[in-house]
Amino acid sequence: MAEKRRSGVGAAVADSGKAGKAESDEELLAQAGVGLLLRDALLKLVEARSEDPIGFLAEHFSNLVSEAESGPGGGAGAEDGPKQEEQSSAEEQQQLSRALWHLSLAHHSQRSAFNNNIRVAYDLLTLCGSSRSGSGGVQGRLYTEMLQCLCSEGGLSGTTAAPLLRRIRCHDYEAVPYELFRQGVLTCAAFADYIRKSQCLYAAVASRPERPAERALCRAVLGTLEEALDTSHGADSARFLEASAKISPAKLARAMAEVHVTSKLQEGPTMDAREFEDAAAALFIARVRVVS
Amino acid sequence: MKMNTERFTLTTDDYLAETNALFYLSDAVTQLLEHREEYIQFGIVRYFAEYFTSVKNGNHVLFREFNYIKATPHNRASFIHIFWKCFRQIGKNGDLLTVLEYSSLLQLLCPDFPTEMVQNTARIVLMDDAMDCLMSLADFIYSFQLQFYYEEFLESVLVIYEDLLEGKNPNTVIVPTSSSAEPLSSTVSEETDTQEGVDSSVFLECINGLCERFKHKHPSVSCIKEILESNLRVSYYSFLMALAKHEGISQDIGALPNRSDLLIDPEMDQELERLVAQVAISPTSNSSSSAAGLKEPPRKASPRKSLHQRRRIEMESDGSTEETDSSEN
Repeated sequence: MAEKRRSGVGAAVADSGKAGKAESDEELLAQAGVGLLLRDALLKLVEARSEDPIGFLAEHFSNLVSEAESGPGGGAGAEDGPKQEEQSSAEEQQQLSRALWHLSLAHHSQRSAFNNNIRVAYDLLTLCGSSRSGSGGVQGRLYTEMLQCLCSEGGLSGTTAAPLLRRIRCHDYEAVPYELFRQGVLTCAAFADYIRKSQCLYAAVASRPERPAERALCRAVLGTLEEALDTSHGADSARFLEASAKISPAKLARAMAEVHVTSKLQEGPTMDAREFEDAAAALFIARVRVVS
Repeated sequence: MKMNTERFTLTTDDYLAETNALFYLSDAVTQLLEHREEYIQFGIVRYFAEYFTSVKNGNHVLFREFNYIKATPHNRASFIHIFWKCFRQIGKNGDLLTVLEYSSLLQLLCPDFPTEMVQNTARIVLMDDAMDCLMSLADFIYSFQLQFYYEEFLESVLVIYEDLLEGKNPNTVIVPTSSSAEPLSSTVSEETDTQEGVDSSVFLECINGLCERFKHKHPSVSCIKEILESNLRVSYYSFLMALAKHEGISQDIGALPNRSDLLIDPEMDQELERLVAQVAISPTSNSSSSAAGLKEPPRKASPRKSLHQRRRIEMESDGSTEETDSSEN
C-alpha cells in the first residue's frame, strides 16, 4: 500500500514524459481489455441499481474471478468419476447462490430491474447444466431448488411455502424455459410479500398482540380479501383498480363493523395467527396455475 | 447512501454520481496504471475484485493521499474508523497528546494529512483556547470526526455565525433604511459584549436554511435542533463541541462506537497489535504482514515516547531505518 503512495508521488513528479506515457496507458488498457471489463460492470450496475454499488462491484468482480478459475475445471465434463461430480455440484451451488444474489438486488415492484436480474440469474443457471444435458433452459431440479431458497429467503416457513411450490415446481428432468422461470420467481417473490402483508393484517385485527383475534372478524377480513382477489376478466389495469377498490380501508372497516355489531360484546371463538396465514395463503395459491 | 427505492427514479448519471461509483472506478484505473507491472501479473479482474472489496471493507484509505481520503463520505468515515482502530491503545493507556502529536499519528496513516485540520479539531476540543493543551483520545477523536466528516458544513456554519455576531442575519434581506438599521446593529454589539455567542433560535433558523443547500452532507437537522433548543444563546465552539459529543450524529456517520465503548473491544485488540506493529516498524513499508510483530516490546511499553522517534525517523529518512532505541527515558 505504501508502495502505491511512493510511486504515486513519483508519477506526479515525472510529469515531463506525460504525453508518451498517456499513449502507452491507453494501449495498455485496451490490450488488457479494461475498457470492456468496466463497461460491462457499469452496465450491470446501472441495470441492477444496487443500493450498495461498491458491494455490488466487489461481488461482480469476485464472481468473474471465480468463474475464470472454475471455468476450465468445470467445463471439461468429458472425464467422469466421483471427483468430477463433486466438483460440478459445488460449482452448481455456487451458481445457485450467485443467481439468488442477483435476484435479491431489486424488489419485484421495480419490475424492469427485477426482470433484468431474473434474466441474469436464468443465464447463470442455464450455463450450469449445459455441459451435461445440452438442452436449452435451466434444469428442473435446479429451478425447484432455487424457488425453495427464494421462499425461505423471503421469510416463509417450509409449511407455508410447500403448497405453492407443489404447484409451480418442475420435474427434475425437465428443462425450464425463460418465461416459466420468470413466472416462478415472480410468484415466489409476490407470495412472500403477500404473506408478510397478511401477517400485518392479522396483527391489526388482533389489536392486542398477546390475545388471538376474534374468529368472526378474521372471517370478515378474509372474505373481503377473497372478494378483492376475485376480479372480473378484463384488462390488467382495470382489474388492479377493481381489486384495490374492493380492499380499500373503508370497505374493510365496513365488513368488520357489520360482524362486530352482530357479535356484540360477547367473547366469541378466536382464530390464531397460523390459521389466518394458512387461510390467506390458500386464497393466493388457489390462483396459481399448476405447472406440471 | 440511504436511498431505498428512490434510486430507481434517478437518472443513470445521477445514480452513478450519487453513489460515487465512477469515482472509485476511475481511481481503480489510475492505481492500476501506476502499478501496472504488479497488477497485470496479479490479474486485472482479480485486481478490481480486490480493490472494490477493500473499498467495501473500508481499509482502502490506509496510506493513501489526503485528496483521496476526503473525496467521499465513505472514505472519510473509513479513515476515521481506521484511525480509531490503530490508535485506540493510546486512549487505553490514558495518554494525553498535543496537537502536533495527533498530527503525527494521522500522518502515519496519511502522509500528507494537513496539520490545519488537526488544529481545527483542537479548537473544538479546547474551545478555541489554550491551544497547547493536552487532549485525551476520546475528546480528540469525536471532535476530529465532526471536523473531518463535516468540514465544509462547519466552514459554512462559521460564516453564518460570524455574520450573526456582526449583527446581520444572512437569511433575511436587509432593507436599506438607515434609520432602523443603525440602532439595531448597535444593540446587537452591545449584547455581544455582555453575553457570549448568538441567539440560538436565529442561529437554528439560519442553519436549517444551510442544510437544505447541503443536501445530506450535514448532521441530522433534528440533532442540531435538539442541541440549539437546549440553550438560549450559543457560541460557535460550544455548538461544535455539542455536535461532536452527540451520540446520534456519531451513529449516523457510523465510524466510531459510542463513547462508553470507545476503548472496549477485546476482539480488535489482536488485530490492533498487528496493525500498529506494522505501522511502527516502518510507515512506508509494504502493508503485508511480513515483518509484523518483530519489534513490539519497546513501543508497546510507551507509545507516546516512541511517537517522537517515529516522527523523527519519518522526517530524517524514508522510514527504512527501524526504531531501535527506546532508552530515551
